[in-house]
Amino acid sequence: MTSFAQAIKDKGFVVTAELDPPRGVDLGPLMALAGRIGAKVDALVVSDNQGANLRQAPWWAAHRLAETIPAEVILTLTCRDRNRLSLGGDILAAAASGVDNLLLVSGDFVSLGDHPQAKPVYDLDSVQALMLANGLAQGHDLNGQELAGAPELCLGAVLAPEARPLAPQLVKLRKKRAAGAGFFITRPLSGPDALKTFLQEAGELGAPIIAGVQAKNPEGVAAAAEMAKAIRAGGLAQGLHLSASGDPETLASLVEACGR
Amino acid sequence: MIVAERKPFAEIAQAVAGYRRVLVVGCGTCVAVCLAGGEKEAGILAAQLDLAGQLAGRQQRFATACVERQCDREFLSELDAAAREHDALLSLACGAGVQFLAERHPTLPVLAGLNTTFIGVNQDVGRWDERCRACTDCLLSLTGGVCPVTMCPKGMVNGPCGGAVEGRCETDPERDCAWTVIHARLSDSDRLANLEVLVPPRDHSRANLPGRQAHAAYLRRYSSHD
Ligand code: SF4
Ligand code: SF4
Repeated sequence: MTSFAQAIKDKGFVVTAELDPPRGVDLGPLMALAGRIGAKVDALVVSDNQGANLRQAPWWAAHRLAETIPAEVILTLTCRDRNRLSLGGDILAAAASGVDNLLLVSGDFVSLGDHPQAKPVYDLDSVQALMLANGLAQGHDLNGQELAGAPELCLGAVLAPEARPLAPQLVKLRKKRAAGAGFFITRPLSGPDALKTFLQEAGELGAPIIAGVQAKNPEGVAAAAEMAKAIRAGGLAQGLHLSASGDPETLASLVEACGR
Repeated sequence: MIVAERKPFAEIAQAVAGYRRVLVVGCGTCVAVCLAGGEKEAGILAAQLDLAGQLAGRQQRFATACVERQCDREFLSELDAAAREHDALLSLACGAGVQFLAERHPTLPVLAGLNTTFIGVNQDVGRWDERCRACTDCLLSLTGGVCPVTMCPKGMVNGPCGGAVEGRCETDPERDCAWTVIHARLSDSDRLANLEVLVPPRDHSRANLPGRQAHAAYLRRYSSHD
């Protein structure tokens, strides 16, 4: 299986789409949507308790997608819901099940979701989660203890080009690179200019940027597609990450408008 | 200091409902400063409980006492005689003080009148803010005197999450993002290089267990004799 990083290198420009696992046991609708859009994107990103709202754990959908859809599958794992034992264990299980692309994120705070009473974990921050995953790929855990069989992993992180002040974000960004992030997916952008400004201020990242393009509803698809076009034409990113606030029809039309 | 607040009156009244002679025990240190459990608050609570007891037609008596610190045996011993005259003790100390008092009177019900909230500072008259989670491995020298473990809800130690909006925290637009403040402080004191340090996963092993420490000089002095 070629990893997502290889796909970016080979294709020069990639399109990814975000899928949210169901709030229940039925994976049918997600698989149906993936079937519709799978051939038009290079990778499907499976979210993890998106917005701190309870969902089916993402590894199951990721595994099923990797088995059946030709696109790459990227598994999102938050530090919010897992300590280092659980993160490491989930990464190993994902790799064993055929999912080797990971998006390691801090995760929206619990107070923003549907279980604000939950105790958030954050045993590691996203930089340290990358350190953990990078270590696993090199055959050892955080304490240097050897694994029986190391996973091959392609690691990604989130980028917030519009967060201000930018200087603290750039610190984090450099650390994510140093800790092994091989690609960055941005938060949904307000427009191509936001990315242009960011690139001017941040300079060379040394890793591909996948630009977040979101349509919140069917009416927003045309504007989002415009933005996607401008980003691509302007050479501002090495790919697009399409999302639709969990609405399958909106996502399908956005992929239709911007996909391969 | 330790900050605490009084439990809701109804909860306290219910907890003491079954006891005839109750001693309300204040604590003269942290909880007195934060106006939750000092001598004055103990007196007020006792009077309120007394009134509520009378209205409910209960035969109850509430007396008060206050010691300098309930987390210190030396001061707790002052209460021994009075405690024996009562059916229950209602402690207005922080959680540590309540436990120490309960340890000293294992046959007496010792009840908690406060909710202990945090380690904090006096921000203004009647206002306290949390500042430290007692993580056992202080990062303040690195982070410009701003605690990322406490002041960032996610405890991020390598920089901000992506959720900050105009320098405010994603959890609350009224709060500064801790990392905006850290960055500004380090910039102002010409220490931005501190931020490039990659902080490895933290060692929680000590904080995971009930804390215990001894003073080195104390150990030297006493261990040589046993
Ligand atoms: S880093 Fe923060 S929580 Fe830890 S000891 Fe220092 S102030 Fe307290
Ligand atoms: S916005 Fe800042 S303070 Fe709030 S959780 Fe993120 S990094 Fe922490």
